Amino acid sequence: MPKSALGIAIVLLLVFIGIGYYLVMNGMIGMLGFEALIGIIIGGVLIAFGVHFVPVGGAPAAMGQAPGIATGVAMLAAGAGLAGVFGGAWAAPLGLWVALGAGAVGGGLLMAITCMMVNVTYVFAMGIPAASGKVDKDPITGDSQPEYKSQGTEGHGLPFISYVGGVIGGILGGLGGTLIYMQLLAVYTDMLPALMNASADQIMPIAISMAGIFAIGMFLVNAVLTAYNITGTIEGPHDPKFKRAPRAVVASAVASALCGLMAILIVVPL
Amino acid sequence: MENIVLGIGVAALAGALATVAGAAEDTESDIGSQGDPNSQVQLAPQMGYMHRIFNKAIAGEPPAWGLWITIGAGVAWAFMVMNINPVLAIILGSVLASFIQGVYSTTAYLGRTASLAKFGQPVYIDILKSVTSVTVAHAFVGIFATVTACYLMNAVLGHPFPLPILGIVWGIALGAAGSATGNPFYGKERQYQNQKFGAGVPISASGNIVRYAEAGERSSLDNGWFTSKMGGPASGLCFGLIVFFELWRTVIFEPINHGWGAVIIGVVLILIFMALDRWIEVWARKTYGPYTKAEVQEEAA
Repeated sequence: MPKSALGIAIVLLLVFIGIGYYLVMNGMIGMLGFEALIGIIIGGVLIAFGVHFVPVGGAPAAMGQAPGIATGVAMLAAGAGLAGVFGGAWAAPLGLWVALGAGAVGGGLLMAITCMMVNVTYVFAMGIPAASGKVDKDPITGDSQPEYKSQGTEGHGLPFISYVGGVIGGILGGLGGTLIYMQLLAVYTDMLPALMNASADQIMPIAISMAGIFAIGMFLVNAVLTAYNITGTIEGPHDPKFKRAPRAVVASAVASALCGLMAILIVVPL
Repeated sequence: MENIVLGIGVAALAGALATVAGAAEDTESDIGSQGDPNSQVQLAPQMGYMHRIFNKAIAGEPPAWGLWITIGAGVAWAFMVMNINPVLAIILGSVLASFIQGVYSTTAYLGRTASLAKFGQPVYIDILKSVTSVTVAHAFVGIFATVTACYLMNAVLGHPFPLPILGIVWGIALGAAGSATGNPFYGKERQYQNQKFGAGVPISASGNIVRYAEAGERSSLDNGWFTSKMGGPASGLCFGLIVFFELWRTVIFEPINHGWGAVIIGVVLILIFMALDRWIEVWARKTYGPYTKAEVQEEAA
């Protein structure tokens, strides 16, 4: 990672966190808002890191030319992460930790089912076994890969390591998305009653809707940003491209800090 | 107890609706080349292979479906706020969203195909007339089923998200599940039907898609007929399982242990699907066998 870029990123991150702290010092937001900003940054980083685990093959996978799931990085991760946010939001009244657990499992379950159906299609409809193009042996099962790769392709389907990567990616995505949702919900339920001069019950639908739409938006920001880092396809945690993850983690921390600040500022009375 | 029974029934109904939606989504996507195989439809004329395949991919499958379902859910929600009967509101919302899908398909086909003019690929008006309406019909089925499932989650099961946000969430998830499961079947088995069965398409064959049918040139309607045999139902099963298990584990097990019951059941389900996937992988390796002998054996020989 270039040092100058890292330096700029760290400065930007500190500036955004500094603005958040300044708002707390001036009493414009409570300490809850600052904690939410930190939570949002952690959530964004979890999403960006999680997307690297998801095996995405894009167009080549649709022709059985490369391993992975035959769709785009950002959208597949978004599908899993948003299913996680759905589960997390449902469990929100039971507390932060249960909601985070429900969100993580929701994302992981979507990926577990989807990845299994990918292999069902390859194996039972197309007669093609799974094979990785990046490693000679599956790091988990030890299965040899090169001889199961058909001629003129880079591999196909989802070897077990890619399957596990997909589930981990879904879990991290659901966890990160739910963390962002829960933090924003806490800020909005805290600040909206005074801002709108209404009771907590009255503002609840607005708070839930705003937190939900911002969580979805921030999920897409982090997933798309990570897709640029991956550039095309990735097989999962065993892919050499996985080593690029720190770059996306830093970038997503900065992007999440800015987005989080904006999401909090809209409820600050000026 | 009655609540739980009702919850299980609604979860099953939502799962069934999601299955129908997934099947319709994939078939619509394959007729319109909405998923990743669109790259081959677009590439073919550039390699000198003119064709009559429909191509409307100007957005990925998940965001396109996210858009249509959110429009359907949003309009239905607006009608419901105006005290219109939910069934009628969902139908009206789905009709409007399908109309927008039709406008999208028309402009996307014209735009994508016109961009290939310098390679000699014509824009066929008869394709526009015959295929667009079929994609709109499939889109209506997919949108109606998904919006209804979202309505059940919100109104009966009490999910806090309003209908339009549920539309975004499940629209994108529907597109992700449908494209992941259905794309390889359309891309490899149908577009490259002339290549060997049981092997991936060699990269050197890219662009040489099958362009002729039993009589005359292949139409995208034939592609829908073919993929509805496997890609469509598999996508439906995928999305149906996702929606059903997501609701089922929450409805039944959330009251246990302050919500942790649903989380634990979710983990158990993930492990079961993981074991099933491993069984499928091993079965394929044993049944189909390797394409070439292992390098170690060759060296020993």
